[in-house]
Amino acid sequence: MSGIHGIVFAYQKRTNLQELVSVRASASVPFGGRYRAIDFAISNLVNAGAKDVGVLVQGKYQSLLDHIGTGKDYDLSKKRGGLRILPPFSVQNDMTDTYRGKMEALGSIRSYIADSRADHFVLLDGDLVTNLPLKAVVQSHIDSGADITVVCGDDSFYVDRGTYYQTDEHGRVTDILFNVHTPKGRRGLEVFVIAKKLLLELIDDCVSHDKYSLRKDVLQPRKDSLVIKTYIWRGFAAQVRSVKEYFDRSMQLLNPEISGELFTKERPIRAKSADKSSAFIAPGGSVHNSIIADGCKIEGIVENSILFPGVTVEKGAVVRSSVLFKETFIGEKSEAAFIIADKRVELSPGSTIIGSVNYPIVIAKESKV
Amino acid sequence: MKKECVAMLLAGGQGSRLYVLTGSVAKPAVSFGGKYRIIDFPLSNCTNSGIDTVGVLTQYRPLELNSYIGSGQAWDLDASTGGVHILPPDMGSAGGSWYKGTANAIYQNIGFIDMYDPDYVVILSGDHIYKMDYAKMVEAHKKAGAACTISVMEVPWADASRFGIMSVDGNMNITEFAEKPKEPKSNLASMGIYVFSWQALRKYLTEDEQDPNSENDFGKNIIPNMLKAGEKMLAYRFEGYWKDVGTLESLWDANMDMLTPDSGLDLLDDSWTIYAQTVAAPAAFLGPDSEVANSAFNRGDIIEGDVENSVLSQNVTIKKGAKVSHSVLFPGVTIEEGAVVNYSIVGEGCAIGKDCKIGEPREERSDWGITVLGPGCKVEDGRVIKAKRMLDSEGKEVER
Repeated sequence: MSGIHGIVFAYQKRTNLQELVSVRASASVPFGGRYRAIDFAISNLVNAGAKDVGVLVQGKYQSLLDHIGTGKDYDLSKKRGGLRILPPFSVQNDMTDTYRGKMEALGSIRSYIADSRADHFVLLDGDLVTNLPLKAVVQSHIDSGADITVVCGDDSFYVDRGTYYQTDEHGRVTDILFNVHTPKGRRGLEVFVIAKKLLLELIDDCVSHDKYSLRKDVLQPRKDSLVIKTYIWRGFAAQVRSVKEYFDRSMQLLNPEISGELFTKERPIRAKSADKSSAFIAPGGSVHNSIIADGCKIEGIVENSILFPGVTVEKGAVVRSSVLFKETFIGEKSEAAFIIADKRVELSPGSTIIGSVNYPIVIAKESKV
Repeated sequence: MKKECVAMLLAGGQGSRLYVLTGSVAKPAVSFGGKYRIIDFPLSNCTNSGIDTVGVLTQYRPLELNSYIGSGQAWDLDASTGGVHILPPDMGSAGGSWYKGTANAIYQNIGFIDMYDPDYVVILSGDHIYKMDYAKMVEAHKKAGAACTISVMEVPWADASRFGIMSVDGNMNITEFAEKPKEPKSNLASMGIYVFSWQALRKYLTEDEQDPNSENDFGKNIIPNMLKAGEKMLAYRFEGYWKDVGTLESLWDANMDMLTPDSGLDLLDDSWTIYAQTVAAPAAFLGPDSEVANSAFNRGDIIEGDVENSVLSQNVTIKKGAKVSHSVLFPGVTIEEGAVVNYSIVGEGCAIGKDCKIGEPREERSDWGITVLGPGCKVEDGRVIKAKRMLDSEGKEVER
């Protein structure tokens, strides 16, 4: 039986996300009022029919494990295959505790890959927020006869440490640029489709030559010997690398067209449920242009904001243009604008904390302000 | 595999007083409180009480209920030994029958219960909204050495004649039981929640089955028989919110209780979580022109109009210019621009067209009542449905 096997790289350190990643991997960053970034990668794979998903973790992965668990929320808790967490096995380079590159990470799970019952692998970053028609992407890869298909956004948005692809008129990649100051070509989303057989060959080749980078040691040097094709995705695709980007991308979700596309019913995004009750706006509460998750209790004013499950906004409090993670507490008559409050942050009554659209303030988990 | 305690949940009733809402689904599968179905309450109470083996007795229109319960995973009742079991009536080699009464339903499942050889059986019904720790009730039953323990609630004396009333002595032993007495001697009403010592119940069920004049009902037969025979019967006092949602009015009332802080129904309290099947939908979106006051809402809701004193389930869409007031909207309801919905219960998947007028504000007159739209009905643009009226799933007006 053919089919696809997903590999999610969920160990990246995106240091410009500062406090948002001080206690968690970037793949575990809460997004969109209900999800963690990794829910998108896993849901994309499941919606494309993947029955097996391996998640490579490293570093601060406790919150990630707690969230994805056995994979039951994605229907990936199976007797055979399903979700598999892949903590660091033997790393070739004993000097550091991080994989130097994706090929090194894949090398450490070679036997897991070799045992796979699928014909094709789809590689994704755990912190890419998008809803791809992956089934169509894989089909187009098979139909085109390409060796590797790279999914690209239809733009050249600047992404910190991003990769850009230039193609000929047939969609075949002619040049691959990295970490450029002024991006040229299309933004790579770090989504790759590759046949299992070729993947194993490339892994073995890299490992035996002490090479570790997918981009530097495979894609760039072999762009002419391998047929690398692009699949253009014109929809929402966020590669969040900084606090400001996180904020901007979150605010984009308040546009019904964007959220309608990201959360399309045709390819639902699944996640662990917070098991909280209905959200509730009490007398005196007023909400406009906001996303409000289950279990929120609102007695104050909320505008242009995203509230995760269980957030409380007391009487007289005002929240504007902010993102409040799970169980945040905004005390009576306090005021918050342009903030990103991590889980269980408490704003004591009467306090004020105001950032700006270009400099949103991140408040660390469980802080009392 | 022996279990100390097995719960049997009676979920087979037609719920005929919910009319179109139970036209094609069993009452326990009816939506409640925005996020839940009625059966989430007894199931969650079981799992929170440490009861991991639950038989759900279905009979009337069980399809949606059965698929909602599934493997029981949502309530942690998917254990490999125990867990939740759907128990429809079945045929044996000597024939079989539909459940004749509440007691007969349990009688027909003696084989299921015997599989777990329990000491105690907890009998629950699937039509009450409440949070309760059954373990405490079983403890009280054990301590008293009772054969049967009945959960009771104090009701206002004026209402007492509507209930099964228990008279008790100083130690809460039941001395008398009267079903809907004209002159009640006590105001302790039976909640329809029982703990039995299994061997005792088994005996009375078997004897009752032999009686051709019996209605095979707990309240009418088993309990009076046990009392008459001198068995030790304990009344267990329950304090807290409890509501029977068997009528349209009480279903609407209980939903509104969610919005009232003093009602006692605090679903936001996490200490006793009520679980439900997960719906894969994003968090609710309240648009820039929406006005939502004193209301509850859920995942997948897209609210662009005005909502007041209402309870919205998942995936409800309210377009700009629409107004919803004092209403309960079940999952998947859509309300188009300009429509006004007042004091109504709108069934699952209903589509209300532009500029409709559904229901009327409350007035003290005999022909005022809650308007009810049956699941899936499509109400064409501009239609007016007055107070107390009811539409079936085809959009046709039907009598209550």
